[in-house]
Amino acid sequence: MAKKTYDLLFKLLLIGDSGVGKTCILFRFSDDAFTSTFISTIGIDFKIKTVELRGKKIKLQIWDTAGQERFHTITTSYYRGAMGIMLVYDITNEKSFENIVKWLRNIDEHANEDVEKMILGNKCDMSDKRVVNKERGEAIAREHGIRFMETSAKSNINIERAFCELAEAILDKTSGRESAENPERVVIDRKNNDKAPGYNKCCA
Amino acid sequence: MEDEHEPTCRPNGSTSTGSGDDISATNAPPPPSLLQIVQKKFKDNEKVHSIFEAYQLKNQEHANRILAVVSSLSGGTYAIISLSIVRTPIRFPTDLTCTNVFPLNESFQILVDGNKGFKSQLKFELLTGDGKPATFYYYIMKSEKESLFFDDFYAQIVSFKMSMSDRHLSPDFELSYVWLNDYRQVGEVKQELKNRESEYTVYNNYKIYCATWNVNDKSFMNSNMNLWLSCSTEPPDIYAIALQELNNSTEAVILKDTRLDPAWIRKMLDSVHPDSQYEELRSVRLVGLLLTIIVRKGLKAHISRCRINSITRGILKMMGNKGAVAISLQLNEGNICFVNSHLAAHMANVAERNQDYNIIEKDLMFDDDQRHIRDHDHIFWIGDLNYRLQIPPDIPASWLRDKNNPFEAMLIHDQLLQERVQRNCFVDYMEGDIKFCPTYKYNPGTDNYDTEKMRAPAYCDRILWKGDRIEQLAYNSVMEMRESDHKPVYAIFNVKIKTRDEKKYKRVQEEVLKAVDKRENDNQPQITVDTTVIDFGVVTFNELAIRDFTVSNNCPLPVNFQFRIKDPPLNAICEKWLKVDPHNDTLPIDTERTIRVKLLPDVRSIRGLLKKIRTTNLKFDFDTLILHVENGADKFISVTGSYQPSCFGLSMETLCRTDRPMCQYSQEDIKQLMNDVTPDYRVTMPREFFLLIDYLHKQGPKLVGTFQTDKPQLPLVGNFNLVRDWLDTWSEDPFPGDAQSAAVALLLLLKLPEQPLLEPLVGHLLESKSKAEAMEYIDILSAPKRNVFMHLCMFLRVGIECQYYELHQVASVFGRILLRSKEYTRGDFNTRCSEVMMHFIGPDIMDNPPLIGNGGGNVQVSAQFLNTS
Repeated sequence: MAKKTYDLLFKLLLIGDSGVGKTCILFRFSDDAFTSTFISTIGIDFKIKTVELRGKKIKLQIWDTAGQERFHTITTSYYRGAMGIMLVYDITNEKSFENIVKWLRNIDEHANEDVEKMILGNKCDMSDKRVVNKERGEAIAREHGIRFMETSAKSNINIERAFCELAEAILDKTSGRESAENPERVVIDRKNNDKAPGYNKCCA
Repeated sequence: MEDEHEPTCRPNGSTSTGSGDDISATNAPPPPSLLQIVQKKFKDNEKVHSIFEAYQLKNQEHANRILAVVSSLSGGTYAIISLSIVRTPIRFPTDLTCTNVFPLNESFQILVDGNKGFKSQLKFELLTGDGKPATFYYYIMKSEKESLFFDDFYAQIVSFKMSMSDRHLSPDFELSYVWLNDYRQVGEVKQELKNRESEYTVYNNYKIYCATWNVNDKSFMNSNMNLWLSCSTEPPDIYAIALQELNNSTEAVILKDTRLDPAWIRKMLDSVHPDSQYEELRSVRLVGLLLTIIVRKGLKAHISRCRINSITRGILKMMGNKGAVAISLQLNEGNICFVNSHLAAHMANVAERNQDYNIIEKDLMFDDDQRHIRDHDHIFWIGDLNYRLQIPPDIPASWLRDKNNPFEAMLIHDQLLQERVQRNCFVDYMEGDIKFCPTYKYNPGTDNYDTEKMRAPAYCDRILWKGDRIEQLAYNSVMEMRESDHKPVYAIFNVKIKTRDEKKYKRVQEEVLKAVDKRENDNQPQITVDTTVIDFGVVTFNELAIRDFTVSNNCPLPVNFQFRIKDPPLNAICEKWLKVDPHNDTLPIDTERTIRVKLLPDVRSIRGLLKKIRTTNLKFDFDTLILHVENGADKFISVTGSYQPSCFGLSMETLCRTDRPMCQYSQEDIKQLMNDVTPDYRVTMPREFFLLIDYLHKQGPKLVGTFQTDKPQLPLVGNFNLVRDWLDTWSEDPFPGDAQSAAVALLLLLKLPEQPLLEPLVGHLLESKSKAEAMEYIDILSAPKRNVFMHLCMFLRVGIECQYYELHQVASVFGRILLRSKEYTRGDFNTRCSEVMMHFIGPDIMDNPPLIGNGGGNVQVSAQFLNTS
C-alpha cells in the first residue's frame, strides 16, 4: 500500500580509484550534466533514476563511493546490498587500470556472490592522453567474464547504455529467479562466464 | 519548484476552520493553516474533519505522518488517510503525499489495547480487512494547534465508525468507498501522469451493438438470429447480447442456474456480422438471464479488465427468475458496463420495477475494485424492463392494438418514460426515440398481438445508456423473428473511448519520471559539516584529547542524522579509543549541532590502537566516522593525528629493540619496530621494566599491599602519567611515584601488550603436567620474554620470602596476566594460572637453583643490561 512508483528497485554501486570520474558518470546519468571541477567524494552519495526496461519501471538507486585509498576498507561495507557494481578506471591513468584487479578482489570478498559487474574505461574522449588501450580493457573483462564498455561522462558516450545494460543484466537474473518459482518454466543458467558481454538494446 | 504550486491556498468555504475570517480586512491573505492545506489534498465534496500528528517507524527511522479523518459526501463514508510529509514547512498540498488509506468500514479497527501497553508507549494500530495492521506512534505534545489530542482523535474515529455501522443496517443508505481509490497507491508519477492526461489522451471510435430478446423459454437455436444481430452496415466492435427467460423451469430457478451452454455462444457467433471475425469475451448467466459480450478479434488485447456479477430480484427477491446480470470491462482507458435486467412483471407493478432498478443500481458491484454500475464511463442498460403502456380508462383497451397508431401517441402512456420524468428510475440515463411497434406480447410464430390472455401491447424490451461521447446510430426491433412472444430489440452506438496515444504517453511518462527523479534527488535530505578531517595532532597514552565539529542543516527539510554502526567485529560507531557525542540527533531547518569527539588511548584501548598502527598500510587514521543522514547520503569524517608512543602496550621484544627513550620515537618509527621480527635485540630486557623492578625492589616493606589484583583501578590516578613520562624519557630523576604506582605501572607494562608475556607457549604451559615440562617451555621463549619472566620471578620470590605479599595471591594475579588466554575455555583457568606460576615462584623451587641453563640467571641479565646502557 506504500507509495510506489516503480516495479523494481535496483541498487547499483560505483567503485574505482579516486579521480577516475565516478561522480561525473553518475552526474551525467542522473542530471545529464557535466562539470570538470574535481570534488573528491568524502563518503557515499546516491542518486536515483527511473528507467523503463521491457515495460517495467525500474528505479535505480546508484551509490557513488569515495575512491580515496584511506576509505577503501570502510566503503567495502557498502558492497553487500548492491545488485550491480560498476568498476571504473581512467584510460589516461595506468595505475587506475591496474587497480581494477584489486577492486575485483574486493568485490569477491565483500559483495553478494551473484552481483552483476561491469568494467568502465572512462574518459575515452581524451584520446591524446590515453595510456590504456581498449583491447586491454576488453581482455581483463573477458578474463573475468564481465561486461566492459569505454565511456565518457564529458562527451556523454555510453553512459546511459552502460547503466541500462547493467540493469538489464540484473533484470534477467531477477526474472530468472521468478521463473525458478514456476516449475513449468525452464531456468536458464546465467552463470555462464564464457558468454561474451552482451550489447543488448538499450532503453533510450 | 516553488512555481509549481498555487500561489495561495484559499480555504474552501465549508471546510474553513475560521482562523482566517477575522483577518479578512488585511490585504495579504493569511497563510493557510495545516488543516486547510490538508483539505486542499481532497475534492470539494470530501471533508477533512480533523488531523492528527503521528509517526511511523521505518527501519528504526522516524517517518512523520499526518492522519486526516475524511468523509465523502458522494460515498457517504469515512476514512483515515495517512499523509507523508514531502517537505517542510508544509505550505502547499504538494508538500504532502497520500501514503495509506484506511476506510472506516466494518472490518476497520483501531487498537489501543491498554493491556498490551500501547497507550503507555504512545502507540496504536489501524486495521482494515485487507493487509497487515499499520502501526503508528504519536507524541504527547502536538506541534499544530489544529491537530487533535490522541484521546479526541480516538473518540472521533470510534464515533464515526459507529455511525457508519448504524447506517449500514438501513438498506436505503448507500455506502461507497470507491472515492478512496483516488488516494490509494497514488505515487507521484501516477498523479503527475493523471494531471497531464490530456496531453496523451485521444478518443477512438468504437461501434457497440446492444441487443435484447426475451425468448419466452423457447429454444432459439433454430431461429434466424442474424436478422437481429447483423443489422449494422459496418461490422461492430463489440456486441452485448442479452437474453431473458432462457430457462424458467422451477429447477433452474431454485438452483439459481448459472451454467452456460457453449451451443448458445456458438449460435450467437454464427449470427453476428459476417464481415469481421468475432470471439466471445465473457458471458454471465443467472437462470433465465444471459449476457454475452462478443468482440471483434484483436480487440481483447485492448481490454485490460473484465468482471461479471449478478443479482437476484425474483420470487421473494431471492429467486433468479428476475434480476440482473452485468459485465464490467475496461477498453483502453474507458470503463464500460453492460447490464441485462429482467424487472418485475405486470402492469400494476411499476413501483416494484423501480425498486428492482434501484436495488440493482445500488447493490450490484464488481468485486475487483468495489466498482458500482455508476462508476463507469459508459453504461448500457439492456433488457426486459417490463414497463407497460398504461392507458387511461377512457381509452378503449383495443386502441393499443391498432398498428396504425403513431408510436409517439402510444409512448405518451409508457410507464418507463413517465417514471424517468419523475426521476423514479434511470436518472440521467438516455434512450433513443422509439420508432418501432411494441415488442410485447405476440402470439408466437406471428406478428399478431396476444389473443390468449389479451395482454396489452407494451414496450417491455428497451436499451438505455448513460455516459459521455455516446451516439446512438440505430434503435429498432425485429418483427421477422417470431419464436417468442417478445420481438428482439437492438441498438447500435458509436462510442468515443478514451485511449492512450502510446507514443505521446511514453514521452510524457519519460518527462514525468525525469521530473519526479529530479525532485527526489533535489529533495534528498542533506547536511554540511565544517570539516571532514578531525586532526587531534599528537596524542599521548592515557591523556584525553577533545575536538568539536559542527553539522548544519541548510536543506529545506528537517534532517535526522546518526553515526552508522560499523560492521562486526567492531559493532560500534567508532573505535574503543574514541567517544562521539551525540550519536544521533534531529536538525530542524537552518540549525546546527556541535559534535564532540573525545580521543583517549587508555588501558582499555591501547592494545587495539597499537594493533591498528602496526597493521595499517595506508595513511593512518585513528578512525573514520560514518555520518549517516536518514534517507540521504553518508559522509565520512576522518579522525586523524599521530600517536606519541609510550612503553605501555609495546611487547618486550619491541622494547628491547629501542636505542633511545620512547619519547624520541614517532608513530611511524614504532610501527617499524613493532613489525620487526628479527632477533636483533639491543638489550636483554627492556630498560623500562628493569628500572621499575629495580625501584620496587628497593621499596622493601613498602611493597606490602601491592599486587592485590590484576585489574588496576580506573581511571589511573594523577601521578601515573608522571611515571609514564619518567619511563618514556629514561629519566635520571628520582622515581616520581611510590611503591603502589610503580606496582600498577609494572602490571600494566606486562598486561597491555597485544600478546601475553608467555605467548606463544601459554597453551602449552596451561596444559603442562610438571615443573620440568613448564620450565622447558619457558626455555624456548624469546630472550626478552624469558629474561623478563625470570627477572620478575626472582623479584617476586624475594617479596614472598620477606612476606611483603602472599604467594597464592601473587601467583594468581601474575598468572592471569602472563598466561592470558582466549583459547583456554575450561573452568579451571584461574587455578591453572596459579599452578603454573607456583612452579616458578613457589618455595620448593628454591631447592633447585639455578633455574635455567642458557640465557643466564638474574645477575647475569642485570650485568648485560648495564653493559649496553
